[in-house]
Amino acid sequence: MVAEAKDTGGRRGWRVGAYLRHVLFTGDMIMKIERHDTDILILGTGGAGLFAALHAQQSAPDAKITIAVKGLLGKCGCTRMVQGGYNVALGTGDTVERHFMDTIKGGKWLPDQDMAWKLCEQAVVRVRELENEVGCFFDRNADGSLHHKAFAGQTADRTVHKGDLTGIEIINRLMEQVLSRPVERLQEHRAIGLIPTKDGAALSGVLFIDMRTGDFRFVRAKAVLMATGGGPTMYKYHTPSGDKTMDGLAMALRAGLPLRDMEMVQFHPTGLLAGDHTKMTGTVLEEGLRGAGGQLLNGADNRFMFDYDAKGERATRDVVSRGIFAEMRKNNASPNGGVYISMAHLGPENVAKKFKGMVKRCADSGFDLAGGKVEVVPTAHYFMGGVVVDAETRTAMEGLYVAGEDAGGAHGSNRLGGNGVANSTVYGGVAGDVMGKDIAGISALRDPDEAVLEAEIARALVPFAQMPAHIHPLRKELMDAMWEDVGVMRTATGMQRGLKRVQEIGAELMGLGVDGTTRAFNLTWHDWLNMRSLCDVSTVITEAALARENSRGAHFREDFPEEGALETSYFTVAKQAGDGLDVTREPVQFTIVKPGETILPDSEPETLVAEE
Amino acid sequence: MTSTTKTLDVSVWRSNDTGGAYQAFAVPAQESQTILDVVAWIQQNEDPTLAYRFACRVGMCGSCAMMVNGKPRWTCRTHVQKVISGNKIEIAPLRNLPVIKDLATDMDPFFDKWIKAEGVFHPSKTRNDAIEQIDPTSHERTEADIGIECINCSICYAACDAVSSNSDYLGPAALNRAWTLFNDAKDGGKQTILDAVSANGGCHSCHSMGSCAEACPNELNPMASIAGLKRETAKAFFTRRKA
Repeated sequence: MVAEAKDTGGRRGWRVGAYLRHVLFTGDMIMKIERHDTDILILGTGGAGLFAALHAQQSAPDAKITIAVKGLLGKCGCTRMVQGGYNVALGTGDTVERHFMDTIKGGKWLPDQDMAWKLCEQAVVRVRELENEVGCFFDRNADGSLHHKAFAGQTADRTVHKGDLTGIEIINRLMEQVLSRPVERLQEHRAIGLIPTKDGAALSGVLFIDMRTGDFRFVRAKAVLMATGGGPTMYKYHTPSGDKTMDGLAMALRAGLPLRDMEMVQFHPTGLLAGDHTKMTGTVLEEGLRGAGGQLLNGADNRFMFDYDAKGERATRDVVSRGIFAEMRKNNASPNGGVYISMAHLGPENVAKKFKGMVKRCADSGFDLAGGKVEVVPTAHYFMGGVVVDAETRTAMEGLYVAGEDAGGAHGSNRLGGNGVANSTVYGGVAGDVMGKDIAGISALRDPDEAVLEAEIARALVPFAQMPAHIHPLRKELMDAMWEDVGVMRTATGMQRGLKRVQEIGAELMGLGVDGTTRAFNLTWHDWLNMRSLCDVSTVITEAALARENSRGAHFREDFPEEGALETSYFTVAKQAGDGLDVTREPVQFTIVKPGETILPDSEPETLVAEE
Repeated sequence: MTSTTKTLDVSVWRSNDTGGAYQAFAVPAQESQTILDVVAWIQQNEDPTLAYRFACRVGMCGSCAMMVNGKPRWTCRTHVQKVISGNKIEIAPLRNLPVIKDLATDMDPFFDKWIKAEGVFHPSKTRNDAIEQIDPTSHERTEADIGIECINCSICYAACDAVSSNSDYLGPAALNRAWTLFNDAKDGGKQTILDAVSANGGCHSCHSMGSCAEACPNELNPMASIAGLKRETAKAFFTRRKA
């Protein structure tokens, strides 16, 4: 068997030709779909997906619940990666109102205020649930009460955490709860299409590739939660690993759903930079390093952040990212094209003690964070945009619910550190409650539009009808294009060029083939499908970014550097229209508070955080 | 530029449902390079059919563990220079688990045992109750904290000879989790846990060889946790006899 894996190009070409005839003339593969029914189907096993499963079971105890994931349950989502912690208004003097105001101001008045409110209000319940029902143990003060730390951009000590490995604690405990319940698991199942009913009025179910066998599986459900997470890995440097490819948003786009705030990509200023060949590149070196006094140095070993902001290295994420990017453009870069972070002046022993995990991780990878200099670069971290939903996670399509990073609105143009995990766990739970309630009124499963089902399968099979080629070089081209032209700092000219590049790359992908000798655990096939999702979503990001002619939060236009009037704030909405995209601007509804106003009583101080 | 022309002799296990064998690859050596980078390079450049699994790439998810030159390791956090022997690297799927294809294993048995060991929180309160005041320096909490940073990567399970010789044995990670829960002041299922871990395949199947502690990349010591469970199950046994 092993000898066969090493095939000659000529024979492989023949095989593909024969295979293509087989598909085209017998239609054999198109017919081969496993069919499967459930009541509630959940896509994703991060904080949103796992909470949805628990809540769905509580609200509909007799329902059949199925949870599907592209990797292993609880292992491949981004909630697990949370270092800092979970924002919740349980600290001394803190209130839901204060948390809400910080969220609105941090999002530069673009958040959907009803969603932001519910996030802050329900975070309180969710953290108690995590502690009391799920079994998390967050760090305590000496008196036994919850410890809250201050995170950038917040006016209270609000962030609950478990050391700097908060996500692992949350996901491990959630995953135990889900594994111990009768929830059907579809692991290593990649969702490739949201399949509507024939009249297009509702969702029938979801089409998957069972990655272990390579077969297709169609699952009908009365309610489907899409919680596949974000992961803007179309950028040269990215913190989520490359298998996170925004497949959910790509599917939603094809299903005709409106997507909002798609220009809003959050960059973390300090991603590890170790060369293009290693997966270590792009991974986060934590925020706390700068907070503790870490210095950023350019290629000539000079500090430069004070040239850009009076707070120097302690400025907010977006400001520091732009400072580093500007320095890189001036050719003041380190050998791999970034800058350095240097901690040694704080005493290598202190650094090694205070940032044990980070120092060990760097050491494993061959870098001395405590005593030397480590190359860093801004890295695409979080995606604020997503499907338009209401505060109950319902979408424009009946039967489809969206939560977590797939949903837009809660963060507006910028997410506060600690609000990401709050968002996914709050809204995952909400989705579980709402779906459980909604399916009570649905007597039968809906039949799919078979034509859409076949079209989605044909789309996934495209690479098997082309000559096998390497996929990875094209992904590099996409990541370069987005980084250079639609990245940290944007202009109309650059983005027009970027749009053209992305479209050319997308077209080239359609001509690249994958060896289809076996479809079982065929990672290269999934590399191709990942690229397809990334190209589609990259186009939307670029067009939405062109439509926003001001600079807010994560979105910075060098040709429109002002934030624009807050009272007339708008958010972008992108929708598929024929072969193209329709991008419009919708006015933000200030349903709770208007710009310049606050819901905090006059007697409340500006901030509860003590000055350092 | 000798660093870019030098190559590593990499031997990778390839298999499907009918059998398997090692296959040799010459992989360009790089200055900063992990075992996961080596595996990915082969799939992206040399053999697109190679199957393996990874997710986070920074030692937090526990998806990418494999046998590297005979030892179970996180491939994402294992620098080539740390493990290379001569110029050779041998990469195989994790031991003690069924193989799906090539380097990818089926981790379900590991998690089934995690649950079987009652490695799941047993609530005694609800979301409507306040968060419990717990002294972080109490003996119980300190004991729980020692074992809590497990990421369920299955490395200890792969390193354990008791698992190899006894397929019913719950294994080090599951029992370590049971011990953290037993010491968790909030857990309401202490007896359930003791019943689960004293059953056949439970803590008494551990032979205290310590491979788990030696292999754990997070420097945890499941063997010590299991010893704790052995003491508590014995204590419970005598108390019951007295009663």
